[in-house]
Amino acid sequence: MSPFQLVALPLIAVLFVATVAATFRGSVARREGFLWSLLWLAAGTAIALPEITAALARALGIGRGADLVLYIAVVVMLVGFLTVYTRLRRLRREITLIVRHLAIRDAIDGSGSEESVE
Amino acid sequence: MAKYANSTCPELPRETRQNVFVVIAAYNEGPAIESVVGEVTALYPNVVVVDDGSSDDTFAGARKCRVHVLRHLINRGQGAALQTGIDYALKRGARYVVTFDADGQHRVEDVGATVSPIYRGEYDICLGSRFLGRAVDMPMKRRLALRAAVLFTRIVSRVKVTDTHNGLRAFSRRAAERINLTLDRMAHASEIIDSVRQSGLPYCEVPVQVRYTKYSRAKGQSTRGAFRILIHYLSGRLLR
Repeated sequence: MSPFQLVALPLIAVLFVATVAATFRGSVARREGFLWSLLWLAAGTAIALPEITAALARALGIGRGADLVLYIAVVVMLVGFLTVYTRLRRLRREITLIVRHLAIRDAIDGSGSEESVE
Repeated sequence: MAKYANSTCPELPRETRQNVFVVIAAYNEGPAIESVVGEVTALYPNVVVVDDGSSDDTFAGARKCRVHVLRHLINRGQGAALQTGIDYALKRGARYVVTFDADGQHRVEDVGATVSPIYRGEYDICLGSRFLGRAVDMPMKRRLALRAAVLFTRIVSRVKVTDTHNGLRAFSRRAAERINLTLDRMAHASEIIDSVRQSGLPYCEVPVQVRYTKYSRAKGQSTRGAFRILIHYLSGRLLR
């Protein structure tokens, strides 16, 4: 085992167990827990058996296994960013709706022009 | 092609002016708000000031005038504040809704000029244009940035107007009902143009004067800010 594997594999194992435990406890949504567990498993496999990613990379004509992992990681991260950005937008929008609701509810009519009221 | 309404401004009857709700979105406009609102109320009794979470005394200043005052608890941007004011005005039975900038760059006389074509039943939306009118002391950089914005709008929104970022606009009730500003910050100006086109209602431009005072210049958008707005608007269109 290389030094890198000695450090990374136990770390990933801990993260995997923690994720599974959190999912069973219900503190993480089941779908998300499942996805994260899959991610840790994939990472662990790629580190423990680099031949697998190497073979996959060769089959795809990429060359090195590490490159394949890097490409996948970049794509996953971009999708992640976009998801978070979209959620942020929606959140902002929802905050605006609440703020607007409160503003209209608590409006002060100092105009004194009662005839314009419905 | 946007039609240019006759700019002669006949005095609107008093009852009509009462049905005009002038919406002013104000963010940290403490030094100007009282005088601006005071000028408007002299002619239009229904002024709606939306204090967009200001940290200064904008709210207190607006309260001193006898107008409708609404407060956003958190700053949500000019587009959001205008939408709040428009929603409120409609709720209070407004027949005409006018947006008016808080920094004193518009003249109250021009409110009548933008409402008149709607009052006469010729149009549903009237947009103020400083390029049809006279912009007093407009800095050169500002002029170029605004011209670029107009060109951009013609390409993206396919609406031909001469001034996309003029804060003075008048809407009939049914036009105001169709406005839905979702872009909170300054990109709302382009969004308004989009909803004008989508509404299919007749619109026109009216020459108005814009006063570039020292105060409004300091408060206004920087030319660099225009690029931020552009990015924000485009991402809003793509990621609906």
